[in-house]
Amino acid sequence: MRNGEIDPLESSVETNQIKVTQLRNYPMVSNPLALIAEVTHRCPLHCVYCSNPMQLAGTKEELSTAEWMSVFQQCGKVGMLHAHFTGGEPLARTDLTELIAAARAAGLYTNLITSGLGLNEQRLQSLIDAGLDHIQISFQDSREEAANWIAGAKTHAYKIELSRAIRRHKIAFTVNLVVHRQNLDHLEEMIAFIERLNPERVEIAHTQYYGWALANRAALMPTHAQLEKAVAIVADAEKRLAGRIRIDSVVPDYYAKYPKACMGGWGRRLMLINPAGKVLPCHAAEVLPGLTFENVREKTLSWIWQESSSFQRFRGEEWMPEPCRGCDRRSEDFGGCRCQAFLLAGDATVTDPACSLTPSHGIVEAAVREVNAGAEVARPTSAPSFVQLQQQTTDLWSYRTNRE
Amino acid sequence: MAPPSDSSQPRLAVGCRWGGSGEGRVILFPEGKINLQGTGLQVLERCDGVRTFGEIIAELQRQFSAADPEKIRSDISVFLEQLQRKRIVDY
Repeated sequence: MRNGEIDPLESSVETNQIKVTQLRNYPMVSNPLALIAEVTHRCPLHCVYCSNPMQLAGTKEELSTAEWMSVFQQCGKVGMLHAHFTGGEPLARTDLTELIAAARAAGLYTNLITSGLGLNEQRLQSLIDAGLDHIQISFQDSREEAANWIAGAKTHAYKIELSRAIRRHKIAFTVNLVVHRQNLDHLEEMIAFIERLNPERVEIAHTQYYGWALANRAALMPTHAQLEKAVAIVADAEKRLAGRIRIDSVVPDYYAKYPKACMGGWGRRLMLINPAGKVLPCHAAEVLPGLTFENVREKTLSWIWQESSSFQRFRGEEWMPEPCRGCDRRSEDFGGCRCQAFLLAGDATVTDPACSLTPSHGIVEAAVREVNAGAEVARPTSAPSFVQLQQQTTDLWSYRTNRE
Repeated sequence: MAPPSDSSQPRLAVGCRWGGSGEGRVILFPEGKINLQGTGLQVLERCDGVRTFGEIIAELQRQFSAADPEKIRSDISVFLEQLQRKRIVDY
């Protein structure tokens, strides 16, 4: 812990005047633990559940190789431990191997979160040689037609091939499966499919409603019945696969009693840098009105973490409204997600409406009721081109599209 | 999965490695880190894929000779089994 920094969660706060003053100036500033590096927003897939912002950064605005290298060096200096490479599709950056090497040289654990598109065995080997610690490949479904329909691209077969290639190399492998109304009915089949890919870990990720996923929420939100069944299936699989494949899964927050501890608290553990160099406390923060986010082209990471108004805005507990202010859970869930509070209740300073203790919870209940009243699963379709697929599915959802 | 046997050779699983330095030494894995103190650190420093579980236990029983040797064995066995389920240790 550096001079002048206090973490009241880990050390008791004394009523000594100096410490109280410090606490006011630097509420809870310990080191950030990890960087989420959104190295590009370009992506060959069009997943309907994408949580990227609807306003994507363009190629010309992207940080250069040298700028990212400087970022990773700064990350190491401020004591970060992990760099999560994501996007868009990080493999769309031709300099990804250099970026991984730079992050590793700065002492960071390197994690590549990818669709796998743009990776072949030769490039995989060069990433591993550069020090890549872990690779996570997303799958949209176990059934080819359905997977390609959700991704808006014919990518499923390629991902299977690639997973086999990954297992020929010595690298940790996680499969990420995004689940929602359109695929939850065959979750058992999907888990069996993933078992055959033989990863160390599986992430069963319920769709979170930001970006495109929020726009497509009516088609994606699972029903009560689907969710209940899914919870039982996951519990069974966890038991059966214990020691072989670790399963991580979280109940989606619209159905939970309390909100998620979004990002482990605002400005508390994580920093996200978007392709254009903007530094954000989370993936969606740019939607919040009235906040200005700094750019690594202009300010150091350390300054942004400690001094910027954006990172201080919802850090700690002083900003909290009721019912958070008097709630014992405030140090566990930090009032939930600021972006969700804004997106659903129109106000980033209120408790996350996913919390059953807050008056605005009615918004979430209404969404859940509506979905359960008319919940139908659509039939996967395919079309000769993406444009035709878009046209055929306009009633159901809108696909994520690149800016240019 | 079974607990480790005397001839098992515990090691960090693929994708898990040491990070940080000095007192801030941690084990890094894809989603996070483990802060280690005291005996946890002593155990994992010995999980090098060479020493057997039996040898690790014997070393720690010698080092903590005031403690009940059977308790040391069962505690470490449970500890390693938990980490194995999290895919952080293999044996």
